[in-house]
Amino acid sequence: MKEILKDILDYLELKVNYADLRFVQSEEESIQAENGILSSYNVSTNRGVGIRVLVNGAWGFAASNELDKQSLLKTTNKALDIAQASALTKKEEIGLASEDKHIATYITPVTKDPFKISHSEKIDLLVTSTKVMLKDRVKKSEGSLSFYKTHKIFLSTEGSEIEQTIFESGGGITAYAIGEGDFQKRSYPSSFGGDYSTSGYEFIEEMKLLENAERVAEEANQLLVAPSSPTGIRDIVLGGSQLALQVHESCGHPVELDRVLGKEISYAGGSFLTPDKLNNFTYGSPEVTIVADATVPGGLGTFGYDDEGVPAAKTYLVNKGKFVGYLTSREDAFKLGLKSNGAARAENWNRIPLVRMTNINLLPGNLELDELIGDIKEGLYLDYNKSWSIDDKRLNFQFGTEVAREIKNGKLGRLYKNAVYQGITPEFWKSCDGITHKKYWKVWGVPNCGKGQPEQVMHVAHGTSPARFRKVKVGASK
Amino acid sequence: MKDINSGKELVNKVKNILKNYDFEIIALEGKSELTRFAESYIHQNVAETDLNLTVKVVNEDRISAVEMNSIDDHTISENIEKAIEIVKITPKLDYHYRLLTPQLYRIKSKFSEQTANFTPINRAQLVNQLIEEVNRRGYEAAGAFKTEATTLLVANSEGVFAFDRGTKVDFNCVITRDNSTAHASFIDSDINNFNINKITDELLETALKNVEQIDIEPGVYTVILSPEAVAHILSYTGYSAFNGKMIMEGKSFVCHNRSKKIFPETITVSDDPFDKLTMPLPFDLVGYPREKIYLIKNGVIKDGVYDHLTALKYNRKCTGNTLPPEQASFGALPFNLVMKEGDSSFEEMISSTKKGIYISRLHYVNVLNPMSVQLTGMTRDGTFLIEDGKLLRAIKNMRFNTSVVDMLKAVDMISKEQQTKSGFVGPVVAPYLRTNNFTFSSKTKF
Repeated sequence: MKEILKDILDYLELKVNYADLRFVQSEEESIQAENGILSSYNVSTNRGVGIRVLVNGAWGFAASNELDKQSLLKTTNKALDIAQASALTKKEEIGLASEDKHIATYITPVTKDPFKISHSEKIDLLVTSTKVMLKDRVKKSEGSLSFYKTHKIFLSTEGSEIEQTIFESGGGITAYAIGEGDFQKRSYPSSFGGDYSTSGYEFIEEMKLLENAERVAEEANQLLVAPSSPTGIRDIVLGGSQLALQVHESCGHPVELDRVLGKEISYAGGSFLTPDKLNNFTYGSPEVTIVADATVPGGLGTFGYDDEGVPAAKTYLVNKGKFVGYLTSREDAFKLGLKSNGAARAENWNRIPLVRMTNINLLPGNLELDELIGDIKEGLYLDYNKSWSIDDKRLNFQFGTEVAREIKNGKLGRLYKNAVYQGITPEFWKSCDGITHKKYWKVWGVPNCGKGQPEQVMHVAHGTSPARFRKVKVGASK
Repeated sequence: MKDINSGKELVNKVKNILKNYDFEIIALEGKSELTRFAESYIHQNVAETDLNLTVKVVNEDRISAVEMNSIDDHTISENIEKAIEIVKITPKLDYHYRLLTPQLYRIKSKFSEQTANFTPINRAQLVNQLIEEVNRRGYEAAGAFKTEATTLLVANSEGVFAFDRGTKVDFNCVITRDNSTAHASFIDSDINNFNINKITDELLETALKNVEQIDIEPGVYTVILSPEAVAHILSYTGYSAFNGKMIMEGKSFVCHNRSKKIFPETITVSDDPFDKLTMPLPFDLVGYPREKIYLIKNGVIKDGVYDHLTALKYNRKCTGNTLPPEQASFGALPFNLVMKEGDSSFEEMISSTKKGIYISRLHYVNVLNPMSVQLTGMTRDGTFLIEDGKLLRAIKNMRFNTSVVDMLKAVDMISKEQQTKSGFVGPVVAPYLRTNNFTFSSKTKF
């Protein structure tokens, strides 16, 4: 394949300002069980090439699953034609931030190749875990496992030649306690499909799904008969799983520079973090430091190079409360006179790279969990996301959680259901006055981040440890 | 898979490999092109061709599925071997899996040659026309313009053979000048129905009113929803309340309210592939013919939509709403939601409103409580205060936390005009709607 791609690059060399070619070949396994019965076992293979060209300062992109040289030349010519069309509205020539040439390979380190684990072992784990959960009012249980192996070749007219093989593994279980006119769910280790990592099958074993199944089901049963969350202004502690989504929606998305520059405005929206605020805006309290780090071992947003051939990097986004950085692509970084920090990622061969999250991590603090909770007179401990929504500038957010626990005089108390909390992003992060210690810190994989048109679903992650926020508006869904 | 004959060849190829097994196949081949613009220039312009073949292997109530995007002999047989290997060791389902028998199909997707052959230059010229016009008025434009042509084949070893070709145009745009914004969208099968001048006028008309937004306090309001906003709410309602699998599991509002008259007589919502404004699919993803299904009829809750698996498991009738195997665990979604028109004009709805709010567009809607169909989300791109029958002032964006059940109970006016808007599977046909019970829970500063 690489030889054909090199021929295509030679063909393009004199026709373009810049071009890159991406061959992507992927394997996927997706297994699901419900109520102790295997409901689906799907495998897939997928491959193709995406050709991106910059001609006279305007972009063209074409992609195809037909991989013989003749077909790829046709696709290449299509990309060149499209660039001509783009030029019709050109205001200025598109520039790219400079980048070194890279000749490199990267492979996710795995202990156990998930595709070499027997089908039976995976099936047994899900069937048994979902059977164990069927207790009392838990009438529905679900479990899923997913595995991905993605091989990418990246070649550019600047001489970069990068091969990567990324392994991803993940899964989770959910129990639904169902009553008359109400149902409550509890998920493990996280909601909406569980937890994911760039790891092998060892990650699945470490999750101990079966060992947690009975406890999770019991918590669902307790939630069904629990009262609804109180409403009003409370101090809250967000558990790591919910805090991961809070970081995702209220920091990860608003620091995407393409969004800031208006490229998503008709669809997913813009951002309040406009360029005038860079290095000049208090995003949160001094406790709050958030980094984008595509090098964290096991993070679902971990790789060797992004899909523009820029090495994985660690970048400060918020440093001790100050807004200090964006996630960037080469094109968008150029507009602000910056270098790309390696956050241009494409879902597959048939999509262009967009500015995407990698691992967006809230760095840990120095408190014990007891200390965090102990300093709250009347509050709630909230965890495991149930619903999410945020406005088109990423300011007004509302999240619902599976679990709310009363905090009274520094102690955890009774369980509540249907809790929601609302806030305005910078006010909320400014109210953060404590983050727990590194030993509570964990990277949560989020495999369903959507953005762009045509839509691209990206695999990202967030490192968090439980944190405390003062005077937050809480309520209950009805 | 350029025609029916190549579809038949593909089925035979699979049949020859899977001699001893039952099977279902879905093949989707397409050409999709999209031009995306922002800050009044084209920043993304893409095209793709692809073919996805999914083969589901069935062996005495054991199932596995394999998906591939190459259909050469080697790739097909290598992948099918994997599916056979899996299906041999998977445990049996807890119900009998029957394949569908051959069916007759009463409708076809609409296919427009001009749409299929619309070029990047054609799209760029129309985008440029819009940009130039809104720039003249001091606005910037951002949006996406997609044209696509697809061929869909669904078949099985019992002789089901369903073949269809369709085209789609999907356009959306937001124009902005400081805090003044407006949004417009268009979806259809035929590029000949696309009128860039009409869309430009619509955008500018809203944007020029959407200035100097004022604050209003959260609370319960009378609200007039645009067809865009109604379509958004109906999509989430279809997803959370009318999914047959959730109904059978006791996780839907519908399961305790079937046959109850809950809403005004004027409320009728169906999944209707025959509606003249929709873009129909003739069959679902196992080959069931699509049919008209009432979800709410004259205010009475009827039932949800059912996929093949849920129907088999719970002994229900499949309504022709089966999703592809990778989404099968979700259940079913309505494909062609239609809310029946009323007898009011939009102008009458505004002029008869003493105090209320007009919502052009919703943003980031999500389900808060599926049992009451309580949704949350934001308004954007034009929210207006109505006083004494007039659209008076633009207001800043608001968050709503509102139950669709309560909202529909309080509907007192529905427009005669319906518009076709994007939905989760196919489009949604929706009118303007006035309700006297819509709850805003917080506001923004923009």
